[in-house]
Amino acid sequence: MSLLQIEPTSWLFALSSLGPTVVLVLSALAVLAIDSLSPDARSNTRLAATAAAGTLIALGITVWYLLAGTGQPATGGAISLFSGAIVVDGMGLFFTAIFTSVAALVVVASYDYLEDDANPAAFYSLLLFATTAMSLMAVANSLATVFISLEMASLPSYALVAYLKTNRGSVEAGLKYFLIGAVSAAVFAFGISLVYAATGSLLLPDIATAIGDVTDLAGILGVGILMVAGGFLFKTASVPFHFWAPEAYEGAPAPVSAFLSSASKAAGFAVAFRVFAEAFMPALDVAVDWGLLFGILAVVTMVLGNFAAATQTNVKRMLAYSSIGHAGYALIGLAAVTAGAGANNATVMGAAMAHLLVYGFMNTGAFLFIAMIERWGVGRTFEDYAGIGRKAPMASMAMAVFMFSLAGLPLFGGFFSKYFLFLGAINAGFWWLAAVGAVTSALSLYYYSRVVKALWLEEPTGNLDALDSKPTGLYAAVIVAGVITVLLLPGFGPVIETAEAAAAAVFA
Amino acid sequence: MSWIAIGALALVGIAIPLAMMAVSALLRPAVPEQSKSTTYESGEIPTGSGHVQLNIQYYMVALLFVVFDIETVMIFPWAVMYRSALEAGTPLSQALLPMLIFVGILVVGLVWAWRIGAVEWTTSLRAATQKTERQNT
Repeated sequence: MSLLQIEPTSWLFALSSLGPTVVLVLSALAVLAIDSLSPDARSNTRLAATAAAGTLIALGITVWYLLAGTGQPATGGAISLFSGAIVVDGMGLFFTAIFTSVAALVVVASYDYLEDDANPAAFYSLLLFATTAMSLMAVANSLATVFISLEMASLPSYALVAYLKTNRGSVEAGLKYFLIGAVSAAVFAFGISLVYAATGSLLLPDIATAIGDVTDLAGILGVGILMVAGGFLFKTASVPFHFWAPEAYEGAPAPVSAFLSSASKAAGFAVAFRVFAEAFMPALDVAVDWGLLFGILAVVTMVLGNFAAATQTNVKRMLAYSSIGHAGYALIGLAAVTAGAGANNATVMGAAMAHLLVYGFMNTGAFLFIAMIERWGVGRTFEDYAGIGRKAPMASMAMAVFMFSLAGLPLFGGFFSKYFLFLGAINAGFWWLAAVGAVTSALSLYYYSRVVKALWLEEPTGNLDALDSKPTGLYAAVIVAGVITVLLLPGFGPVIETAEAAAAAVFA
Repeated sequence: MSWIAIGALALVGIAIPLAMMAVSALLRPAVPEQSKSTTYESGEIPTGSGHVQLNIQYYMVALLFVVFDIETVMIFPWAVMYRSALEAGTPLSQALLPMLIFVGILVVGLVWAWRIGAVEWTTSLRAATQKTERQNT
């Protein structure tokens, strides 16, 4: 079939269906244009306002589409664009909502962080371009689109991690992240080529139908699936591709760590969920039992992340390892999938999606609190945090909320998301995943509560006069993230319903 | 079975250059001479060390070049398709507009890089002194 014979997609319809992505691109270009018009002016406020407006408008459109049922079964099902390379559906919109809210929080917080920066336009535009790519990852329906959007999200991330050009830690972290990213991108591309060799298609639904006919190529298909999984494990910072995460999160500017550990991780899961649920489900019986693979990796990731976090003295590094542990929880969404169990699969994957949403707010908030501490220049270890609660009660209260919510105490949003995830795993017959998750969550309470204890119970050790300056943007972002984390406890019902409906549509 | 042929080909491919080097090492007379081990600079007598540091600003130019490089790669197949697409009745909004948007996005990036001074050539103090030193000797 020649390219010309394909029915062309109506541009206006495509642009309106991809509304959030288009708004993000335009706001990123607007940031560059504003800076081009007056490169020498101190335009941090204007640039931050443009970037924040872009992310908030994109978030607004996403939520509107979700509520209006765009791309969902109620209004005629998923919208297929560009010959099926992109599919706008409930799952894509749900994840886009995560990315845009995290990006909005990070932009608002970065306003203070970049106050003395020579060229904030580069930061905001890189952040917006990465968010754009993530919103594309969430709707990518062909392995080619998946690869390009994944790289499009990775490249700005490398630059963002190394953004503090004169800081050795930041540059080293950026280089490590880039090297591991380049290797895993090569593995990922090779995996795609093997899958294509075995099935003859890059479109996810076509791969699923072709898998039944691969007889003697099942081995090649299996190796291809494993290599594709490797690419996703890098993006989500799961074992065995997690080595970059502690270095990158610790060396990067704290708002960037917040962005990477929340939005970038969720983006990795967005594509992984879609690719494995839509394309590789029939391969469970034919080529390779990837469900078992993800099960083992989920257990190892949960155990390694939480135990390593418990031994850290540096708070930012502790959060980095805790974020690896949370990747393990979200991996349960893929691990507890079995062929032919449609309803159970949708329940557990929907729970993992809901967990990623709650995690997006509580983890971003925690890293932004670290950003505030970095701005005050107090110190990096648990001891340095002693007594901050008395000087900065609001922010410390929010940090306590994030910590207890990450641990899963039944007072905040993090409780229900973990509860539904483990319950879904048990119902699907994977009680051992839920058991490991519950045990490691109990362990995590130990190191999370160390932060709260240092903040509130211990006497100040050093001089805390720096805390008299109040960075408005950082404060606003931390408080908003804290309020949403609390509100997600009573408001968890609609979130889990939307997530499970979206996951069910993908499995259908 | 076809893999055996590929394996044999690989073996021969590795063996030929190794054999050439081994045979010439056995046949050639050994005449040790100092000028053989010096750096080759097109027959000139080498000056300075072989460890040259290039100006980092070439890197910016190379990066901007990559942008245009990729742009050409994308424009070329589009230009081949363009006329036949129009003849087949594709409206301009489908044939021309996407490419204009694509180029437009790149232009915004280029203008920004230009405006913040990424392509302005700043002379470093150290390079300038080294240049005068070379001219004086």
